[in-house]
Amino acid sequence: MKGTTAHILRRAARSLWENLYLNAVATGVIAAALLLMGVYLSVQYNVDRIVRTWNQDVHLSVYFKPDTPEDERFALRDRLAADPRVAAVRYVSEAEAATWLAEHVPDTAPVLAELGDDVLPASIEVTLAPPAADMDAAIASFAEEIRSPVVDSVDFGQQWTERFHAFLSLLKLLGAVLGTLILVAALFLVMNTVHLIVYNRRDELETERLVGATGAFIAVPFIVEGVVHGTLGGGLAAGGLWLVHRLVASRLQEAFGLALAGQLAFLPGSWLLLLSLAGVVLGVGAALVSVQRFLAQAP
Amino acid sequence: MIRLYHLTKTYGDLPALSDVSLHVAKGEFCYVTGPSGAGKTTLLRLIYGAIRPTAGKLLVGGVDVARLPRRRLPALRRNMGIVFQDFKLIPRRTVAENVGLALEVIGTPRELIQRRVAAVLGIVGLRGRGGEYPPTLSGGEQQRVAVARAIVNDPSIVLADEPTGNLDGAMAIEVMEILQAINLRGTTVLVATHDAALMKRFPYRVVRFEHGRKVSDG
Ligand SMILES: Nc1ncnc2c1ncn2[C@@H]1O[C@H](COP(=O)(O)OP(=O)(O)OP(=O)(O)O)[C@@H](O)[C@H]1O
Ligand SMILES: [Mg+2]
Repeated sequence: MKGTTAHILRRAARSLWENLYLNAVATGVIAAALLLMGVYLSVQYNVDRIVRTWNQDVHLSVYFKPDTPEDERFALRDRLAADPRVAAVRYVSEAEAATWLAEHVPDTAPVLAELGDDVLPASIEVTLAPPAADMDAAIASFAEEIRSPVVDSVDFGQQWTERFHAFLSLLKLLGAVLGTLILVAALFLVMNTVHLIVYNRRDELETERLVGATGAFIAVPFIVEGVVHGTLGGGLAAGGLWLVHRLVASRLQEAFGLALAGQLAFLPGSWLLLLSLAGVVLGVGAALVSVQRFLAQAP
Repeated sequence: MIRLYHLTKTYGDLPALSDVSLHVAKGEFCYVTGPSGAGKTTLLRLIYGAIRPTAGKLLVGGVDVARLPRRRLPALRRNMGIVFQDFKLIPRRTVAENVGLALEVIGTPRELIQRRVAAVLGIVGLRGRGGEYPPTLSGGEQQRVAVARAIVNDPSIVLADEPTGNLDGAMAIEVMEILQAINLRGTTVLVATHDAALMKRFPYRVVRFEHGRKVSDG
């Protein structure tokens, strides 16, 4: 058994060495395909992550009708503060709202001064505790509960979230289509490269067959080669992905400052492992198909 | 050992072998002869299962080769030693590796392969040439490597397609003596050749083909 394993590895090493160029091409093609897959997965992973952190910090603004007495405002504020689903509340009076706007958008200051202090409605800024399950539904129903005669409107960016979610699902669909295309193209390229390796050695394989080699004898070195292609390709892809990650992170940092760049995460190890595994499956699959094709027509 | 019943092989519309019946007994030495294109190589290729007959029945050692599943071909060929007309040596393997291939494919340990190969190279007059590569050898030397590979696994049948085609007189006689010696140990030997002088010098049964038909036998 030890002798057999050594023998198989020797034959595989020799085949790799004698077809170094094509083997490098096969490895490169797998690496490129996995790198593209990895980039796609990274984008998905990070978008999901960022969306999740946004969702954890849900704000509602409850706007009062202008003539609501102060005690009713405070009563609502206290009632909200006592709600277990609420993490924090802050009352913002008309004057505070105007001051905030004047400070943050200086252009509006003269207009506000002319119109008076109570042009903006008073509000309660509510921060929700992260809901357990379906967040959108939880916010919507919570907003519905708050509505009362003194409340003018409850704003939780519903339109914005809906659009953003629609955009996200479009992005995911595009990603899935692109991912599938990449996978099919990679499959095609790898298949053809490995097929070329087998084709290059067909005289030798035919001779082996004619002196009594079994299909397994002929296939096994190619399977080992497939594992090598997949593993090396996976490693190269992981390295390339790391470089891409560093590059994108530093670019984002330049463009948007620390806040966003810090959030960009590298794919977790288990995903990378899965990516390499996909490479091995690709490499071995291509080897099996090519050898099978050869054996089907060998004398 | 080898039994053909009304065997026919056509390529497209052209018959390479037509309605050939032939029995070669175990331990027999038999020539297959005839002009170029008579169907000698076709006959041998049918026997080792590289091609399938169009019609007729073909038994080798009791095995129905025409209906043998592809995965059973290795077992059939491991009992045979084949000298191919075009040698079929692997150029990137040394002489020793080429000869040892017939043992390598059945999982023989390396040390045993080395010993057997050395012995067989001695028999065909290529002692000490195991490290060379086939393209650097002469046609006659390559032919003897092919003969060495065919006998290295002690087969029960040897099929030799023009095994002396590239050899001068003395060398051809040596190769024939090797085949004769193997035959004397009980191996069935089938030699395709059109070397009349050789058949005269080593007189055995001669089966003659013309245009794919058996025209004489005896
Ligand atoms: N693969 C093939 N496709 C088509 N025709 C073939 C094929 N192989 C052989 N033939 C034809 O079958 C006939 C017999 O060929 P074969 O090689 O058996 O002759 P041969 O007796 O071995 O000749 P030679 O003495 O030249 O080796 C020839 O007419 C040849 O052209
Ligand atoms: Mg011939």
